[in-house]
Amino acid sequence: MDLSKRKNVYYLLTFVVFAVLSFRLGQLQLINPEKFDKEAEKNSVKTIITTPARGLIYDKNYKLLVDNKPSYSVTITKKDFDTNQINSVSALIGIDPDDIRSDLKDIEGPNRFIPTRISRDADFKTISYIEENRDNLKGVDYKIEPIRLYPSTNLRCSHILGYTKEISKEQMKNQQGDYYKQGDIVGMTGLESSYENYLRGEKGFQFILQDSKGREVGGLNDGKNDVAALSGNDLVLTIDADLQEYAEKLLGNRKGAIVAMDPNNGEVLTLVSKPDYDLNYFSGKLSPEIWNKLNTDPDKPLFNRATLTRYPPGSTYKMVTALASLQEGIMKPNSTIECGGSFTFGNRTFGDHGAYGNISFVPAIEHSCNVFFYKLVLKIGFDNWTKYGRMFGFGDRTGIDIPEENRGLLPSPEYFDKVYGPNGWTEGYVVSLGIGQGELGVTPLQMACYCAALCNSGTYYQPHLVKFLKNPNTGELSPVSFKKRELNIDKDYFKIIQKGMYNVVNGSGTATAIRTSSVIIAGKTGTAQNPHGRDHSWFICYAPYDDPKIAICVLVENAGFGAAVAAPIAQRIVLKYLLGNTDESEIDDNKYHMPD
Amino acid sequence: MEKTFFHRFNFIVLFAALGLLTVGLLAIYSATFGNELTSANFDKQLIAGLGGLFVALVITFLPPKYISSSAFLFYGLIILLLVVVLVVGHRTKGQTSWFHIAGFGFQPSEFAKVAVVLALASFLSNRQKDTDVTNPKDFFWAVGIGMFPVALIMLQPDLGTSLVFLVVLLPILYWAGMPNFILFIFVAPAAAAICAFLGTWFFIAAMGLTLIALLSFKKNLLISTLIFTSVIISGLSVNLVYNKLQPYQQKRIAAMFNPEADALGSGYNVIQSKIAIGSGGLWGKGFLQGTQTQLKYIPEQWTDFIFCMVGEEFGFAGSMVVVFLFVILIWQTITIAYNCKNRFLSICCIGFGTILSFHMLINMGMTMGIMPVIGIPLPFMSYGVTFLVSDMIMLGVIMNAYRNRKEYV
Repeated sequence: MDLSKRKNVYYLLTFVVFAVLSFRLGQLQLINPEKFDKEAEKNSVKTIITTPARGLIYDKNYKLLVDNKPSYSVTITKKDFDTNQINSVSALIGIDPDDIRSDLKDIEGPNRFIPTRISRDADFKTISYIEENRDNLKGVDYKIEPIRLYPSTNLRCSHILGYTKEISKEQMKNQQGDYYKQGDIVGMTGLESSYENYLRGEKGFQFILQDSKGREVGGLNDGKNDVAALSGNDLVLTIDADLQEYAEKLLGNRKGAIVAMDPNNGEVLTLVSKPDYDLNYFSGKLSPEIWNKLNTDPDKPLFNRATLTRYPPGSTYKMVTALASLQEGIMKPNSTIECGGSFTFGNRTFGDHGAYGNISFVPAIEHSCNVFFYKLVLKIGFDNWTKYGRMFGFGDRTGIDIPEENRGLLPSPEYFDKVYGPNGWTEGYVVSLGIGQGELGVTPLQMACYCAALCNSGTYYQPHLVKFLKNPNTGELSPVSFKKRELNIDKDYFKIIQKGMYNVVNGSGTATAIRTSSVIIAGKTGTAQNPHGRDHSWFICYAPYDDPKIAICVLVENAGFGAAVAAPIAQRIVLKYLLGNTDESEIDDNKYHMPD
Repeated sequence: MEKTFFHRFNFIVLFAALGLLTVGLLAIYSATFGNELTSANFDKQLIAGLGGLFVALVITFLPPKYISSSAFLFYGLIILLLVVVLVVGHRTKGQTSWFHIAGFGFQPSEFAKVAVVLALASFLSNRQKDTDVTNPKDFFWAVGIGMFPVALIMLQPDLGTSLVFLVVLLPILYWAGMPNFILFIFVAPAAAAICAFLGTWFFIAAMGLTLIALLSFKKNLLISTLIFTSVIISGLSVNLVYNKLQPYQQKRIAAMFNPEADALGSGYNVIQSKIAIGSGGLWGKGFLQGTQTQLKYIPEQWTDFIFCMVGEEFGFAGSMVVVFLFVILIWQTITIAYNCKNRFLSICCIGFGTILSFHMLINMGMTMGIMPVIGIPLPFMSYGVTFLVSDMIMLGVIMNAYRNRKEYV
């Protein structure tokens, strides 16, 4: 190998390094040193982080649900700040001096040079005071930042949208990378949390020259180094704001939840949880009193009942048992079971609303015959019952695009073995599961998805709230994709179930009180037994019967029997969605008193 | 040749290194002046410098055989420490790269650079096995030796240091006899990817140069086409991947090329350090007189940003002295590598020369805003005990190579 040639490559590269560095040094120090000297004499270059506007949120018809408005935030630059001024700053912005001290303590490293937010949503008086007293209040400044604004007064959507709040110390510590700084606003719940990375945008920064008194004297390098903040993506939801507003009003002061979705694609049209809260509490400075009140309220307004609450579904669950028996070939579509009005298993007797004689699937659903399903669940066995429940998504998260979601509880032989021990339970425990009671726990959202899969004959869509992400600059829409799966159940068997649900409303079933000639509704009532008080009322339904456009689950806590309040609420939502009809009259609980 | 002491001792290299160490100590003194928390750094650096100098002199007088035969032992030990540091090391700024020994922070990845060069040199100069980089098996072994620590350092994760390993490998292999054509196969797609990122015209120019190079190599059509295709694919895929990224991710990558675009992180330091260096002018503001640096606008200026102290307080004149000292040191190292008949020591010199130039280019370039901020310190000058000692080991081996340049073994 001829190294005498190769060594020249190495000399050449060394020379290039030398040339590049000395050229650059000359450029910085000789060609234009006055510029830098002047900037160095002005003594400091301040970096200001500019907060991007958080993405907006629209409903499916582009009605604006969440907007931004400008507000003032008070900031402190630790390096410049004179700690003797803490008391006057504290008096000015109304924050305890110790809180300011502890905030300042957390500012470390390069963050000492950057103004850090210590209070947001300051009023104009505070800002003018800072402006007038710059000499005394070194390091104290303010900046304009967007905060959330909820334009509609009649519409809450609290649990869908979720609230934003200042990042907690815990979240700061656990974040990936170092994007978030103290005092930054992050989505805590709902869509604000799950779409945080899309909504937040990207911070920008400005370099500002200031003199020794902290007065700004211009931008560094004429602002050429500044980076503009990137606005976050907007969200276009699947929610129908009009329907949502109407549903919130229908549930009114009752405790409960409503979920309505499009059974053809899993788009959630309405998701209500009552009681709820006013998101405007969170947009500016959240007062500790309100925060405490929300957290200690026994009715738990922050709790999303639509996705977190877990009750036995009662009779609304009977269709799972029915489909399991048909698909497993244990029953024929026209098979019958004898109902004598009660059922004794071991030394326990389970009651029923009546004695129906030899009864087949359709009337058993129509009349919600308990004995039929007690016997049926014993025929199909616990394993099959669990298998079909799992198929319909029970006992697992539906995967809706908000973080708050409960799996519910779908008992299985393994589960009972674990809880009661392998010999600690009997088949008798299974009997009540057959009619949706006992330890089975489901969320209203799971029930809505289940109802959608029943009416579309076996396609299970992942429910979702966001349809598109919208680029705020180009207006370009990018669809968000969600999963769907086909259930392994014969379509013909769904026809039987659907006929049963048709008769519940349009035959002589348990919800005939909501029958209407304008739209054909099919549904099923249910009661969640409540050992602590009045039972909870369930109703699931879909409409129109022959071409379903909406599937609904309504849960009203402590409302008594299945159809009592839940069914008329569901009916009004159907009429509003399909025909645009609204009915503002009060729902009379007693008028609709019906058996389960 | 008469074997006098002076003929066997390279004072140029030694004084260049000691000069850099002295300027570095002055700068650290100034940077930490009046800061109670960090003024002890000067003492630590001074102790490390004297200790390191002793190590360098010991290495200078060792028989070369001792060094080459213990190279793999050292390499194995460092690999072990790299694993240990991942398990028990301290976490700072999202990296787990060091642990404490007797009050000094110890960073095995700094020694790993030296270890890799020694191990590669030992492997490539092995007479018994008659290793030859033109033989594919030996070639891949060499690449493996060079890349194995990278995997561990990436886990810390320390991308800057990992990059040093990638950069040091090719010059060593080339010096050991890798054909021009193979070098070309490695460099062309990487260069094309960078050019494609810089702009279409850069990419077209890169493709043109590739074509000319391929024609001059006169390889067969199939191989040439394959290489040309891979160059095009690597160029195109860079933009394809880049365009798929979210805008904020694109911004992060752009910040690598233009650090000032990331003021939340490294950009702040770069802006301030450019102002500091620029304001030094021809003669500088004088020792302890730098306004930018004395007012502590630059965080941790005694480590990676040490050069801006020199720039502000000693001006263009002082900075050029530093640049010249580096260039003299590196130039001498290449000359020693060329004249040294001992293949092991010769390859070591090339490796160490490459490490020094790469560190110098990236570190100084970074403080002047023309190189990415990837956390690479300035040899002999940046504060850091492990780093300084590893620099001194390199110096010792270079001086050893000079001393034994006439002997083959």
